[in-house]
Amino acid sequence: DGLKDLEDFMRATHSGRADFTQVVTAPSRDGQAGRTRTSSGIFAFERPGKFRFTYQKPFAQTIVADGQTLWLYDADLNQVTQRTQAQALGSTPAALLASAPDLAALRRDYQLDAAPDADGLQWVLATPRAREGQLQSVRVGFRGAQLAALDILDSFGQRSAIRFANFQTNAPLEADTFRFKPPAGADVLKQ
Amino acid sequence: CAAPARKPDADASAASNHWSGRLALQIESPEPQSFFASFDLQGDVGQGELTLYTPLGSTLAQIRWDASTATLRDEHGTHAFASVDALLQQVTGTAIPVAALFQWLAGEPATVAGWQADLRQAGEGRLVASRLAPQPAATLRLVLDQ
Repeated sequence: DGLKDLEDFMRATHSGRADFTQVVTAPSRDGQAGRTRTSSGIFAFERPGKFRFTYQKPFAQTIVADGQTLWLYDADLNQVTQRTQAQALGSTPAALLASAPDLAALRRDYQLDAAPDADGLQWVLATPRAREGQLQSVRVGFRGAQLAALDILDSFGQRSAIRFANFQTNAPLEADTFRFKPPAGADVLKQ
Repeated sequence: CAAPARKPDADASAASNHWSGRLALQIESPEPQSFFASFDLQGDVGQGELTLYTPLGSTLAQIRWDASTATLRDEHGTHAFASVDALLQQVTGTAIPVAALFQWLAGEPATVAGWQADLRQAGEGRLVASRLAPQPAATLRLVLDQ
């Protein structure tokens, strides 16, 4: 079931790389369906504590966690924001799933329950233990031991559905995958 | 009898005062402050709503205002303020010219004491507004989704 897949994923998948698409749906209001926004790019990670989201569409944005610092670069604004990784990790389930050292670390932040199969995937419901955090719930979907999907519901009712494809497990990654050097001329801001 | 006035298409009117994109606010105070978020903005200076998102798509905060009050909702709850100006002053630590911002977004030059807006790239959905006085200097940059 989903819990077994999650356990296998946390134990056997040390690093990985995948294409992702993300559909964010705003909460519906007075009967009108919420606006949706679709983005896509590449996600890479290495335990413990390292990940990279390279958003390619609709705009170029890169988020890199190098183990200590979380970097965010927005190409249009030509701006880099930098903050300590511990500060920001809680609200990024994909990052936590990928970079948490083991299942026990995950259980500290989320209560984990098996959920019914759907869309051909096995699911786990992860409920954040922090009551007033940014997130209401996270559903994690597996195809066998491979991470395939994340459905994130935040505390405002906004849904973010991430789907992974071409998942390469434990594939060798270039050395500087999780290093970030601010581009020349970019504003670098500490938060 | 007069033909019923055609009700403006709700979407069209909503679309005309609806903006989404990314914003960055930088304040050169002794302890420099910087804010960065994706956003959805609706309405006008009299009544509106601003929703701020993290880069990974979860909601950071929602600000709503009308003529008599303004509220900020974030993960810690909802906080009320006398006005949107008072709210933004509290949240960012500096005064943000909301009325001028709506004019700049519409590509109209608006003069605000101490602020200068660069609207040359308004056509490509880019806006840079900087406050030179009073100190501390502040820069607000917006990129609108095209």
